[in-house]
Amino acid sequence: MFAFIVRRVIAGVIMLIVMSLVTFLLFFASPVDPAQFACGKNCSPAIKEQTRKALGYQKPAVEQWKDFMVGIFKGRDYPDDPALRKAAPQLVAHCPAPCFGYSVLNSKTVNEEIKRAFPITLSLAVFALILWLLGGVALGCIAALTKGSFIDRGLVGISLVLYAFPTFFIGLILLKFVSIKWGLWDKPEYTSIADGGVFSWLSNLFLPAVTLAVVFMAAYVRMTRAFVLEAMSEDYIRTANAKGLSKGRVLVKHTLRGALTPIVTMAGLDFAGLLAGAIITEYVFNFNGLGKLVVDANRTYDLPTIIGTVVLAATFVIVANIVVDLLYAVIDPRVRVA
Amino acid sequence: MASFKKRIIAVTAGSLLLSGALAACGSSDDNKGDGGGKSSGASKGGTLFFKVEDPIDHWDPQRTYVGTDISKQSRLVYRELVTFGDSDDPVESAKPIADLATDTGTSEEGGKVWKFTVRDGVKWQDGKPVTCEDVKYGASRNFATDVITGGPSFYVLSYLDIPADADGTPKYKGPYTKVGQDLYDKAVTCEGNTITYRFNKPWPDFPLAIAALHMMSPYRADKDQGDKSNYQIFSNGPYMLEGTWDKASGGTLVRNPEYGNDETDSRKALPDKITFQIGDKQETTYDALFADSGTAKCTVSDNRIPPSMFSQIPGAQDRYQNPESPYVDYLWFNTKKLDLPVRQALATATNREGWINAGGGDRAYIPAYSVVNPTVAGYKENPVYKDIPLAGDPEAAKKILSDAGVKMPYKLDLRYPQSDTADKQAAALKATWDKAGFAVSLSPEGDVYYSNIQKPDHNYDVGWAGWGADWPSPMTVLPPLFDSRANITSGSLGQDYGKYVGKDFNAKISEAQNSTDLDAQISALQAADDILAKDMVYMPLEISKFNWLAGSNVDFHVTPASNSFPDLGLIGLKGSC
Repeated sequence: MFAFIVRRVIAGVIMLIVMSLVTFLLFFASPVDPAQFACGKNCSPAIKEQTRKALGYQKPAVEQWKDFMVGIFKGRDYPDDPALRKAAPQLVAHCPAPCFGYSVLNSKTVNEEIKRAFPITLSLAVFALILWLLGGVALGCIAALTKGSFIDRGLVGISLVLYAFPTFFIGLILLKFVSIKWGLWDKPEYTSIADGGVFSWLSNLFLPAVTLAVVFMAAYVRMTRAFVLEAMSEDYIRTANAKGLSKGRVLVKHTLRGALTPIVTMAGLDFAGLLAGAIITEYVFNFNGLGKLVVDANRTYDLPTIIGTVVLAATFVIVANIVVDLLYAVIDPRVRVA
Repeated sequence: MASFKKRIIAVTAGSLLLSGALAACGSSDDNKGDGGGKSSGASKGGTLFFKVEDPIDHWDPQRTYVGTDISKQSRLVYRELVTFGDSDDPVESAKPIADLATDTGTSEEGGKVWKFTVRDGVKWQDGKPVTCEDVKYGASRNFATDVITGGPSFYVLSYLDIPADADGTPKYKGPYTKVGQDLYDKAVTCEGNTITYRFNKPWPDFPLAIAALHMMSPYRADKDQGDKSNYQIFSNGPYMLEGTWDKASGGTLVRNPEYGNDETDSRKALPDKITFQIGDKQETTYDALFADSGTAKCTVSDNRIPPSMFSQIPGAQDRYQNPESPYVDYLWFNTKKLDLPVRQALATATNREGWINAGGGDRAYIPAYSVVNPTVAGYKENPVYKDIPLAGDPEAAKKILSDAGVKMPYKLDLRYPQSDTADKQAAALKATWDKAGFAVSLSPEGDVYYSNIQKPDHNYDVGWAGWGADWPSPMTVLPPLFDSRANITSGSLGQDYGKYVGKDFNAKISEAQNSTDLDAQISALQAADDILAKDMVYMPLEISKFNWLAGSNVDFHVTPASNSFPDLGLIGLKGSC
């Protein structure tokens, strides 16, 4: 197992390095000149080149990538120009390792931006995960246990409809009607537990979390139903029933245990994806999480923030994959034996 | 004042919200909603909420080049040597008034030297006085072009009398490296509280320029941390920042106890607090404003009402204003590719009426008859453009083509930044152009639009662009757009997208640049615009109009001095939220 983890971690690190390089190369392959973009009106060629220098884009892409990698392991100081740092130490922003860079467009290190945005995304992702797992698995089980009935057909049908709704549609409906027009729920504005307490934190997260959870829940209802039905046809379930175990015990102890493996896999990956930013939901509800940070960075051609968030998102996905693999063994003894 | 290349996502035909200009057409009474925008009854106190969709790029005065942001800063936190008053009259409001300085400045040597005396008793938020040295230091920051980016440093760099390096950049490199500091210290001097600027050419409307742009704003050297200071508002105005500014979500301004000795009438400072809330989509903001409940009653925004919501305006007419913006949209013609008769035929067949209707009608635009906005000094309707019917005249255009022996159908493409609205507007142009004997293909582009049309080797035929004056002078319109000497280099066309090189035009610009007298300068520029029309270098389309809605508790003001954006110096609250 240890060797397996080491192998996966090494592969993950290599993937991250390659991904960061590719992001750098793609950014500079874009036909849009980020220096022109940030330069403002009446931008003379000389001022544009100075703007490029201020943004840190004057070096070749590969060289910039090397500086980025050095920053990850050693940290960096900004501005890049050592002569300027020496002449005007008051300008220096120190970015300790692991440094994802300094965004001139946001006037702060990418680490600071991520530190601000991540708790928002994490809160949203966890709340949504709880909602969709509880709702999805429970309703999926009910559908499976009532297979062919009106309840089953109703749940499957509703799931299908909800699954077809795009997130932005659900989000806008909740925001525009439930919150603004009908005033049934205050317009969500992220408030941390430290600032507003647990209730405020939860109530502000509710509508965005529901937006995310509805779509995921719909998928999980159908998935859980299918896996539970599959598990219920297994010999060991028949044996458990023949032994006279209660229905609940058979479901929780035996059926779900077998059915949960693929669900945990999906949940892990979906959760990791959300940690990288629930872009649309955060945008609709104006939650300044990682998703909104990514969109804003792309809109303004802010390379340090783009690269920092890409590497972070990739890390989440890779770590989630490893964790899910490990969880298999915990949930399903057959994996451990294999 | 702003880069309309910066937020390309927002750059759509007729949507130049982010391009800056100070020369705003005023919200004259006939531009307002039926109830008028000048309600009264506001008293001191309360919290005003200000909604902004996209983050504010800069609070650093030397880096600010967006019209609405300049207006906010002037009214709330940064005082300038001179500023604009609160008049509704566009002409009156375009006259600088003394602010930090004791008067509007005195010039010598035909506008090549300007002197201002800094008023006593004006303090920073920490109680220290605003000094001549602070004003001098502020101007010096423009030269640190590798740190202080995005602002209107172009003007300071090209006007201050400082020798240039071989690459054309000033030998002075700013206050951080202090390279060439002695040269700057000769060009800008402080004697007591009197600051003197020495220029390399006449700058007859310098006070107007520094009332409009914050390039000469005072800055405290001990508070300057370069880029790290971008959001550290250090105020000498009526408000100061409470806590810190978060680029993504905003911040709150509260009263500055050290504010005083302000003889202008443009900073009423009525609300106790102004909370900036950033990030809500335009539609979400206006959903709440039309619903007018909760804090929306005390809310204003500098994002326009989306055209899809225009139908709701009649129900909120008393809270609505519809002033003309400082921007003019126009078509540029590739003068290196299209012969004069072809350009004339294109202009003659241009359907401005169709363009305007497709873009939202008269709430969104009025027709333009020059690339110069009507509020800019010396504006005159250009008869060449005035004589062309608003719906275009395809028959007359066809005749021009056939008289010139141009083979029809003449193939050409129209370039523009893509949006649903722009697609419809472009289709309206195509319809009449095709009738005139052209075979037009529409070529919408995304974020790369400006990068592409600035390439010296582009082979495009016709394209859309928009512009607003940096201050109410045609000097900030015609030269930046059409002077080939200032624009065209081996790497870029600058703003001269149509590759126009006009010897007579450039000569008129030189004449204007060397004028020591404003009237003579304006006269030369009017002649220059006539040359552009004769050479049919551009075709003016329209002047966009702003659509604003405020909450019912807001005493709502929009003035020319605030660039026709909500004027935070005058806005107050009629009740709490």
